[in-house]
Amino acid sequence: MTRAIAAQLVLSLRRQRTFLALLVTLLVMTALAGVIGWISHRTIIKVYDQAVTLLATTGTPAPPNPFDTKPTLALLSNMVIYIPLIGALMALVLGHLSMADDQSSGIGRLIFSRQVTRRSYVTGKMLGALTVLTVIMAASLLVSVASLLIVNGTVLSASDFGRLVLFYVISLLYLTAFALIGMVTVLLTRRRSMGLLLALGVWLVLTFAIPQFTSGLRPTASLNPITDPVSTSQTFFDVTAKARPLSVSEQYKEASTRVLEIGSPESALATSWRVLPIGCLVLVMAALTALLVSRHDYSRSSVNE
Amino acid sequence: MEEPAVEMQGVSHRYGSAPVLREIDLTIEHGEIFRFLGHNGAGKTTAINILTTLLVPSAGNARVCGHDVIADRSKVTERIGYLPSDVRLYDHMTASENLEFFAKLSGVSDPRRAAAETLDYLDSSELGPRRMSTFSTGMRQRIGIAQAIVHQPSVLFLDEPTSGLDPSGVRQLRETIFRLNRELGMTVFMNTHLLSEVARVCTTIGVLNHGELIYKDSMAATNERFPNEASLEDIYERMEGHPS
Repeated sequence: MTRAIAAQLVLSLRRQRTFLALLVTLLVMTALAGVIGWISHRTIIKVYDQAVTLLATTGTPAPPNPFDTKPTLALLSNMVIYIPLIGALMALVLGHLSMADDQSSGIGRLIFSRQVTRRSYVTGKMLGALTVLTVIMAASLLVSVASLLIVNGTVLSASDFGRLVLFYVISLLYLTAFALIGMVTVLLTRRRSMGLLLALGVWLVLTFAIPQFTSGLRPTASLNPITDPVSTSQTFFDVTAKARPLSVSEQYKEASTRVLEIGSPESALATSWRVLPIGCLVLVMAALTALLVSRHDYSRSSVNE
Repeated sequence: MEEPAVEMQGVSHRYGSAPVLREIDLTIEHGEIFRFLGHNGAGKTTAINILTTLLVPSAGNARVCGHDVIADRSKVTERIGYLPSDVRLYDHMTASENLEFFAKLSGVSDPRRAAAETLDYLDSSELGPRRMSTFSTGMRQRIGIAQAIVHQPSVLFLDEPTSGLDPSGVRQLRETIFRLNRELGMTVFMNTHLLSEVARVCTTIGVLNHGELIYKDSMAATNERFPNEASLEDIYERMEGHPS
């Protein structure tokens, strides 16, 4: 039963235009991340070459090429922004679509008049969503590698490839949390549109509101994974700084930048701690989804007496 | 001796403090085509929800083919088929894909074959490769019936099966129900508040009034009991206390 429900979800998602549009956008943006990285790389090299020529005429020794010390994966730094924006939105829609038909169109009544338990149903839905997200992340990984190879002419070392895979594993975990949020919001609301609206509200709070609060006076922090330039000695900023581990969006960006070697270096253990809140959110959302499905009255999903 | 197809003993149900079903006692034997009549809100859908294991009754026992709907849910769902009033399947999937999906959920060993055979039986093979989103109400109803019988259940529950159908669709549905009963031996339990098409297909009727079962008998006995009533509409109105 679980497999049949998972397979149905995968098939249904493959044919839904809204989902496909978001998926294509994410993959295009993934490819663009490599292109943008290549353009900025070329610009810096061009400026560097001009500086070297200029310095050579004056007999001054040129400083080292900045890209000689820059890690290869830094070319993909924009992915750390695209995943919480487009990726999370796509995952929300995925979660929403995976539950909405069964709830609002009354298909749930047909399903539960069969030999399907609530447990196998919710497991099937989660498995289906995870399968789709895994395929998307794998496709995104391939696009990233291809864009590095084709556009930048960079062949990844085994270590860099491992880091890129790890980045996409963390991204998969992050997107799973949003897919589950999409499922939970459908189960909490009676109207399909309200479910999607609520899911978007949660996405806004997690992606923008909480990071703004937890990063104090860093107005661009919700978009750019930069190191905190402001001293947070005042009480308010002490509080917001302490609340930062609760911001899954911030933690995702921080962990990702470390994995891609963009941010300031830290130990593997410290990076692992940053992933922990995301994992906790996934577990809480999965438990909540299971609880809501087990208690949901599918007999009243649609028009009844 | 074979257990009744459907058995309800003292079944009551409440939504909050509002009673919807009041101590229903009902037995339907195998091979019957039973029709539940009643006004909107009489409790017909609640009764079907209980018998299809979707709802746990507040009190009483309900059994289908001898199996308790709560304790033996799995055995009950093996033996029943269900078509809700406003049938909706997955719009992005074809009729065949929908049928295969529901066949899998019923544990059918060869879902593809079962789907094809069911469509063929209902003379709807041409609908198989088409997506549900392209279907009219009548076509959806045919596929709805197909999903309900794809695993060849013993008892078929139909909730307001004629809603939204044009006269030709109603006639086609009536013939299908008749064939399923005669050729495949399915017991049919259906709800309706419309009367016009009732008399020609059902063998037994029950009347629900504000959650109470006020009448249950065979059609033949009903016609004998109300010899002066011109139609089933008149009989129904007399039962509900609105003499015409």
